[in-house]
Amino acid sequence: MSMDTSSVDPTSGEYVASTMSDEVVIELVQVNKWYGEFHVLKDIALSVNKGERIVICGPSGSGKSTLIRCINRLEEHQAGDILVNGTALDTNVKNIDAIRRDVGMVFQSFNLFPHLTILENCTLAPIWVKGLPKAEAEKIAMQYLERVKIPEQAAKYPGQLSGGQQQRVAIARSLCMSPNIMLFDEPTSALDPEMISEVLDVMVGLAETGMTMLVVTHEMGFAKKVADRVIFMDQGEVVEQNTPDEFFNNPKSDRTKLFLSQILAH
Amino acid sequence: MSDTTHSDAVFRPKPSLPPPPNTVGVVGWLRKNLFGGPIDTIFTVVGIWLIGTLLVTVYQYGIANAVWEANSYRECLDTVLPNGEKVGHSGACWAGVAVWMNQYIYGRYPDPEQWRVQLCLAILVLWLMPFWLPRVTAKIQTGLSAVLTFPFLAAHILLGGEAGSFLMLTSSLALALFVTVWLNVITSYAMNKSVGKLVVELTGMADKDDRLHKWVLLAGFAVVFLGALAYESSWDLVAVPTTDWGGLFLTLCISGIAIASAIPSGVILALGRRSKMPVIRVFCTMWIELFRSVPLITILFMAVTMMPLFLPVELNPDKLVMVIVAVCIFASAYMAEIVRGGLQAIPKGQYEAAQALGLNYWKVTTFIVMPQALKLMIPNIVGNFIGLLKDTTLVSIIGLYDILLMAKASGQDPNWLGLHAEPMLFAAGVFFIICFAMSKYSQHLERTIAGGYGRR
Amino acid sequence: MAVIEKGGSSSGSSGKSALAFINDERFRSVFYQLLVGAIVLVAGYYLYANTAANLDARGMEVGFGFLGSTAGFSIAWSLIPYTPGDTYFHVFLVGIGNTLLVAAIAILTSTFLGFVMGVLRLSKNWLIRNIAAWYVEILRNTPLLLQILFWFLTVFALLPSPRQSLEPMTGFVLNNRGFYFPSPQPGDLFFLTAGAFVIGIVGAFILSKWATKRLFDTGQKTPVFPISLGLIFGFPLVVFLVTGAPLAFDLPTLQGFNFVGGGSVPPAFCALLLALTIYHSCFMAEAVRAGILSVSHGQTEASYSLGLKPSWTLRLVIIPQAMRAVVPPMISNWMNVVKNSSLAIAIGFPDLVAVFMQTSLNQSGHAIEIVAMVMLFYMTVSLSISLALNQYNKSVQLKER
Repeated sequence: MSMDTSSVDPTSGEYVASTMSDEVVIELVQVNKWYGEFHVLKDIALSVNKGERIVICGPSGSGKSTLIRCINRLEEHQAGDILVNGTALDTNVKNIDAIRRDVGMVFQSFNLFPHLTILENCTLAPIWVKGLPKAEAEKIAMQYLERVKIPEQAAKYPGQLSGGQQQRVAIARSLCMSPNIMLFDEPTSALDPEMISEVLDVMVGLAETGMTMLVVTHEMGFAKKVADRVIFMDQGEVVEQNTPDEFFNNPKSDRTKLFLSQILAH
Repeated sequence: MSDTTHSDAVFRPKPSLPPPPNTVGVVGWLRKNLFGGPIDTIFTVVGIWLIGTLLVTVYQYGIANAVWEANSYRECLDTVLPNGEKVGHSGACWAGVAVWMNQYIYGRYPDPEQWRVQLCLAILVLWLMPFWLPRVTAKIQTGLSAVLTFPFLAAHILLGGEAGSFLMLTSSLALALFVTVWLNVITSYAMNKSVGKLVVELTGMADKDDRLHKWVLLAGFAVVFLGALAYESSWDLVAVPTTDWGGLFLTLCISGIAIASAIPSGVILALGRRSKMPVIRVFCTMWIELFRSVPLITILFMAVTMMPLFLPVELNPDKLVMVIVAVCIFASAYMAEIVRGGLQAIPKGQYEAAQALGLNYWKVTTFIVMPQALKLMIPNIVGNFIGLLKDTTLVSIIGLYDILLMAKASGQDPNWLGLHAEPMLFAAGVFFIICFAMSKYSQHLERTIAGGYGRR
Repeated sequence: MAVIEKGGSSSGSSGKSALAFINDERFRSVFYQLLVGAIVLVAGYYLYANTAANLDARGMEVGFGFLGSTAGFSIAWSLIPYTPGDTYFHVFLVGIGNTLLVAAIAILTSTFLGFVMGVLRLSKNWLIRNIAAWYVEILRNTPLLLQILFWFLTVFALLPSPRQSLEPMTGFVLNNRGFYFPSPQPGDLFFLTAGAFVIGIVGAFILSKWATKRLFDTGQKTPVFPISLGLIFGFPLVVFLVTGAPLAFDLPTLQGFNFVGGGSVPPAFCALLLALTIYHSCFMAEAVRAGILSVSHGQTEASYSLGLKPSWTLRLVIIPQAMRAVVPPMISNWMNVVKNSSLAIAIGFPDLVAVFMQTSLNQSGHAIEIVAMVMLFYMTVSLSISLALNQYNKSVQLKER
């Protein structure tokens, strides 16, 4: 494993300045979703500005993953509106395609394609979705692999990489589609402790470039460092949202206080 | 113990001693595997007796008392052994099997034309050989080309006579693909590059846009195709009607076509069964469940009794064609369930990651799901092929002269009346060798696949 | 923060053209389904029209009326009484009876033999392990039909004539006419013995429940096994003897050129049963072996380390887990036994396919109805078996998150 990352904790140190603009890129209006009888998302309203970094936290089963999976239609919402870059997410296939092309997603379990090399993982979508020539797609892929600091692994298969490396490839794979928005669904939860920092490092770097990011995570250090806003969810509802300063130092809701005391206890 | 607490203590490992003699070596092995206790010993003795009796019987019947040369079954039975007794049923009459051997393998396919069967087999083996050549790329395309087009080429060669324009075109396409596959093998080994790359370089298009290469390659293939078409048009083969096909050749023919057609149709049915669209799902599920729940023999009966009713009178389908259609329907239903099993083994995350990248349903299926699923399914597909090969013997019940019916027929030949056991044993041996080899190979594949991706 | 104008949930690329609906997921789904439905309907209509024309040309009609007419042919052997004067529908039932009989016996015998072979394949004894392995490899890699023909043509067709019959045990006779065995003739009071047997089984069941409860409540064990044996076999035996042994056996005896009396099955039945038993026992053996191997060694170790004896480990830990893996392939194997019993037709045993799909079909010409009825029968059997299997799978499914 490469030890190129962090002898420094990426989540400590100073706050990464925001480049947030006024333009709204994601707008959720009264979004509701049920799994059968179970009401997972209750009247979610959220608007995200371009360049904004949002950390979503909450206990398991609170609907936070479902929420961001709705944003690129991996889950279908049953009531309310979701608009991404002004395009409504409805049953129109073209709209779904357009939004998915513009929204990158990183999963808890990496979900790299095991039968393709790292490079092929990164070039598959640019070639087949965007129609880029192979040579150009490979050039772009190598740039991003360099950015996540593993260009030397390009010819290997995912099974030959450590978890942290796989997750960095997954980030590079999403970036190859040059998305405007990145969704992270617990990107470090499946990693061994010593690999978490190398992934967070890459994410902090991404935040520095002004990417719009929605991150579901329990890494409170990361939230303090880069988030413009922290959203706390429980039982399908947004309980509280605030700047990280206010959220951690001065939580309003007693549910938030309980949650913070539990995760910060040890 | 106390000295280890001293800082200057040096750890000296104790020397390794040999193990107790009765736990290793031949004695240890025997104790462990054959004479572990009184019951084990009894088992071993019974086992040795069983094997001994079996081996002696097989030797007596199959070799010592067997008759290798005779002109009729009676002659076999009356052959006198060195001890003065007649052979009777104590020895095998391999002479009869030898006389009928040609029919067991080729049926009534005329002797002077049998090279055509051998040629087809050779082409098939050569076509599939790139799978085992590590330096050749495009293995999936090679396999697909063989599965989809070889049957037409084989049909043209085996049937002979005047080929219709459809068969002429498809079989020429097959020949052209075959030639291309082998050109690719040759260039891969001789020049270390694929034939496509070579053609692009020779035409001086290498530095041009990728998208132009496609047209160059297409043009190159068109030339090969036209060559193949011209060549096949010059063939002058004697027509051999399917009623003369038989023996092992027919068995392999039917099961080969069935398995080749079962893979694409099984994939479609499995995708349909997993579809979110209820109408498609219901049709596919009904098809699969219906044909999996009834015996093959009923499907065969349905084919030969009902298909003539279903089709216009003037079509009047060949019996072999009807049987092949029936076996294909049967195989498609079984293959669909195997494919479905393979698809179920692909984690949901793979679909999601591919969708999140913007790939649509067909691209997710083609590039992400199927390549992984097919790899997982190989052992089951081989298993299914073994089953199908065995099931193909059922065509003998409706009167096609496959190897089994030929074996039965030889016992009804006036010269060889009553010659039953030997042909059956011969046929059993043939099936055993083919099926056992395939199942061992599939177990080997299973182990290599279980090794998984990566770390290779 | 700028807020997007609401009211245009379709403010994206949709809704701009009149043809935008073709990009709608729901529209596409409905369209594809209609398309497939239409193709199936057209194909169905094509087949229907051809069939109607063909039947018309032959002057035939489709309908189940023929089931009521006399079949007129004889059936060599049947479980259900049959005479040539009976109807085609009766032939159908006779066929079903014969098929189910041979399948049921073959299921029992092949399961038993399969369990034995599967356990032997895991024996610690190298020789036994390998003998069992080769038994399985050789017999499952040769076609069943070939095995059926082999047993029939080389063993059962070559048996001696009735006068030189083989009689391995008194009352059990084997010759080229078939296998004869004593048939039990229950007397008037025999129903008491049968009732005692049923009571014994119920009693043993209640006893085992009670013993478990006692174990849980008081920690005391009960010798369930010997008491159950006594209940199931001893109690009926006592009743049998007390009522004066009301059971006689009708022994087959040679009269003239043939045996009469007792029960009998034809040689084809024996060949079919033997081949089905042997062939399917291989698959059962594989299922048993795989099932036992599927229980990880850690389970045995954990159980031993808790202080459970090997026999208790086997009963409480290994077998319940192994059954989970053994039962599904075993049941699908049973389904295959039922289907493969249709190969009886190759050696002339009158099963459903032979008497109905071949003889009746050739004679009456009602191909469509007969094929449909036979397929319906096999589908009913298969679907009910797989329904039972699903129920079982549901009941043993591990509760997991």
